[in-house]
Amino acid sequence: MMKMILRRLASSCLSLFILVALVFFLAHLTPGGPAYSILGQKATPESVAQLNQRLGLDQPLLKQFGLWIWHLLHGELGYSYLLNRPVGQLLWVYERNTLIFYTVSIIISTALSIALGLIQGVWFGRWPAKLIGAFQLGFYALPPFFVAAMLILWFAVDVHWLPASGIIDLRDPHAGIASFAAHLVLPVTTVSLLTVSSLSRYFGEAVHEELGKDYVRTARAKGVSFASILFRHVMRNALRPLITILGLSFPYIFTGGVIVESVFNYPGLGWLMWRSALSQDYPILIAIVLVIGVLTVLGNLLADLVNGLLDPRASYE
Amino acid sequence: MNAVLEIKNLSVTLKRGGRDVTILDQLNLRIAPGEMQALVGESGSGKTIAALAIMRLLPPGAAITGEILLNGENLAAAVEPRMRQVRGKSVAMVFQNPLAALNPSRTIAAQIGEAWRVHQGGSAAQARARALELLDEVGIPDPKNRLNDYPHQFSGGMRQRVMIAMSLACSPHLLIADEPTTGLDPLIAQQIMTLIARLRRERDMAVLFVTHDLSVVQEHADSIHVLYAGRSVEWGAAAAFFQHPRHPYSEALLGSVARLGQARLRNIPGNLPEPEQRPPGCRFAPRCAYASAVCSTAYPPADAQGATLAACFHPLPRTARPAFAETLAPRPARNFAPLLDVTDLGVRYRGAGGWFGAARRLPPSLAEVSFRLGRGECLGVVGESGSGKSSLGRAVLQMIEYDGQVTLDGHDFHAMAGRAKRDLRRKIQVVFQDPRESMNPRMTIGEVIAEPLRLRGGLNNAARRARVEALLGQVGLNPEMAARHPGDVSGGQAQRIAIARALAAEPELIVLDEPTSALDVSTQAMLLNLLKDLSLKHALSYILISHDFAVVSYMSDRIAVLNAGRIVEMNETAALLSAPRAAYTRALIGAAPQLQPMQA
Repeated sequence: MMKMILRRLASSCLSLFILVALVFFLAHLTPGGPAYSILGQKATPESVAQLNQRLGLDQPLLKQFGLWIWHLLHGELGYSYLLNRPVGQLLWVYERNTLIFYTVSIIISTALSIALGLIQGVWFGRWPAKLIGAFQLGFYALPPFFVAAMLILWFAVDVHWLPASGIIDLRDPHAGIASFAAHLVLPVTTVSLLTVSSLSRYFGEAVHEELGKDYVRTARAKGVSFASILFRHVMRNALRPLITILGLSFPYIFTGGVIVESVFNYPGLGWLMWRSALSQDYPILIAIVLVIGVLTVLGNLLADLVNGLLDPRASYE
Repeated sequence: MNAVLEIKNLSVTLKRGGRDVTILDQLNLRIAPGEMQALVGESGSGKTIAALAIMRLLPPGAAITGEILLNGENLAAAVEPRMRQVRGKSVAMVFQNPLAALNPSRTIAAQIGEAWRVHQGGSAAQARARALELLDEVGIPDPKNRLNDYPHQFSGGMRQRVMIAMSLACSPHLLIADEPTTGLDPLIAQQIMTLIARLRRERDMAVLFVTHDLSVVQEHADSIHVLYAGRSVEWGAAAAFFQHPRHPYSEALLGSVARLGQARLRNIPGNLPEPEQRPPGCRFAPRCAYASAVCSTAYPPADAQGATLAACFHPLPRTARPAFAETLAPRPARNFAPLLDVTDLGVRYRGAGGWFGAARRLPPSLAEVSFRLGRGECLGVVGESGSGKSSLGRAVLQMIEYDGQVTLDGHDFHAMAGRAKRDLRRKIQVVFQDPRESMNPRMTIGEVIAEPLRLRGGLNNAARRARVEALLGQVGLNPEMAARHPGDVSGGQAQRIAIARALAAEPELIVLDEPTSALDVSTQAMLLNLLKDLSLKHALSYILISHDFAVVSYMSDRIAVLNAGRIVEMNETAALLSAPRAAYTRALIGAAPQLQPMQA
């Protein structure tokens, strides 16, 4: 198993390299440049050239890329042009916020998807499943920014139950955990609604499919009750596709998160990515892409490992 | 004697497309303790539905009338909670295809233990101990170390033993075995049947054995009950049945079973009627050689004038010709012009999962295989699963990479490329085991058959249509069938269509990969005879791959026996059957189920 993990990580390095290279060159080829963001629109060409020289942006692209890789291998991600702080340090703060946000969202989405999917699988084709199905399709079709905006309108603007945006930095000694949680509710709800709509559908179909399999008939022939069949036999087998999809949808949840984080002004990686893309703050942008890439690889690996635990047939050869 | 199971006037109706369809009609049967009764029928006869009805495991929407008395209790009227107590405790069931019938993600100890704990309670440790006892009883070697294994870690035969162990957990009075050996290699199937026979003797357990395989019935069952199109046609002691079958259907069925060394198989004309289109009166009458006007007036009453009971107006008398009228004629030796030359063929599959997707080396599936095949000759390839027989077929078809040489008509495939190679490949066609799986369900049958013609070009639409109709006629099908879809035809018809498609390419060789193993006996006989006729007419050569020794010996001029990727013996069919040299060949022949010819 260790060998399989190492092998997977090794082959992921190549994918990550390609990903980073692609983003690096695409970002640098866009017109304008960070100098304008730093100096403002009225900057003279001379001052821009001077700044570019200081930042090393006048060097050939390939050399810049080589230098960036060289620094990466030494554990350095460079300095943010605008915020003038080491990228690694900056990322950690935002990444922590994002990880909290996503962990909570994924736990809630998975739990809800399992509950809804079970209902859908058991009553497949009958009204409880059809009712759930209608909601799934509705939420699946809604764009995240719209859901986010609606939630803000209802719960923050209309009834003032929850804060509309922003979050208190965890380092703030006056910020309580309750306030932090309150800020999380709406973003988490947005992401969960969208994720659950597809996940629960997959799970419901998996449950339905498993219930039709021969081993379920065997269990019935043994005299096993329906509840036992559902939770001891069917559940485990039906979870496998759910987990694979969860692993695969990791990047999609994340890109959806960029929008959600920006709408809610939630200081996470997605928000930071959006901001640095606008200001062409390359070191941050590329570092974030790298982090997302690594998280995606790890997410998929984790999904495969969990599936391996659920399915004894999966081999780690 | 008291019966363990007594079924009175059992009928089962299923919902199909919004309509009620009677699948099983007025079944009556009795099984005594320790008795092994075979419930025999072709697909669509209602035999599996009868078994599921006893367990009350019918699909939703099914309706039952009549009585199912288990030790005097009517299960047909039992409520679901009561049935849960009965299932697994008084009646247990062994299903076919144990790989699907066992939960892939639970250990066998958990699954066997569950069957015991559901009814007896007890701790997990006790259940484990019980599982160990049972595994030992059904002959799993080293059972202690296999308790925590999963179903996929067992071979097919061992998996079926696990299934049987599970069914025995609560010492049931009645065991229902639904085609327990279907899909298993003959050697393994024989072991499983011997095991079931031993267990019922030791436990004095009644067994209802659902099967389509008459040869297995003859070897193991005490009594037999034959179903045709949802109704009983003949029932009684098995020995008497095989001595003097009294119903024309029974006789025809026995005649269509392939036996070693047979010259010509008899087949039953016509098709099994769909449940919605069963004829009035005797359901077999439209296909029966003895039918008269009275046969279609009413369902015939049971005739008790012989050793068995037959629901027939014209039961066969004792003096009728014995079930095997065909003589076992020796095959005339023929000389064939050379066609295919296979030299030193080797196949090695590559395993996935190396570093950066590199392949791992696996042991070869096929090694040092050499043989020649003449024009119009049929070479049978037999062997157990995993012996490499399918790899052999695929290599000859150029569907996989191989080492060595395959030469057709003097042209070496490895030495050719491009158009010439494609033209040569066309001369070798294939017919697969499951014909419907090998056809695009969205295409009409006409399009399926026309595809090879279209690929070759040179024919306009009208000419192509005419050719398709001619091909359908050649395989004995109505040309009107061209407009239908693969989903609308029976298994036997679909296999004929697959043959027509192969013929469309005007091949010189057809690889037949288990062409009849998904078909019923009577259909199988029809198809084998068709293949034989086609070979004679067009000087077609076959490579026939099968695990059924009787089928292979019926069809083949020569037989090659494969074991672990190598040919262990190859000889003329008659010589191989009468004087097998390799021990492995002797074992295979010994395990081949075969009906014993009976004297009148």
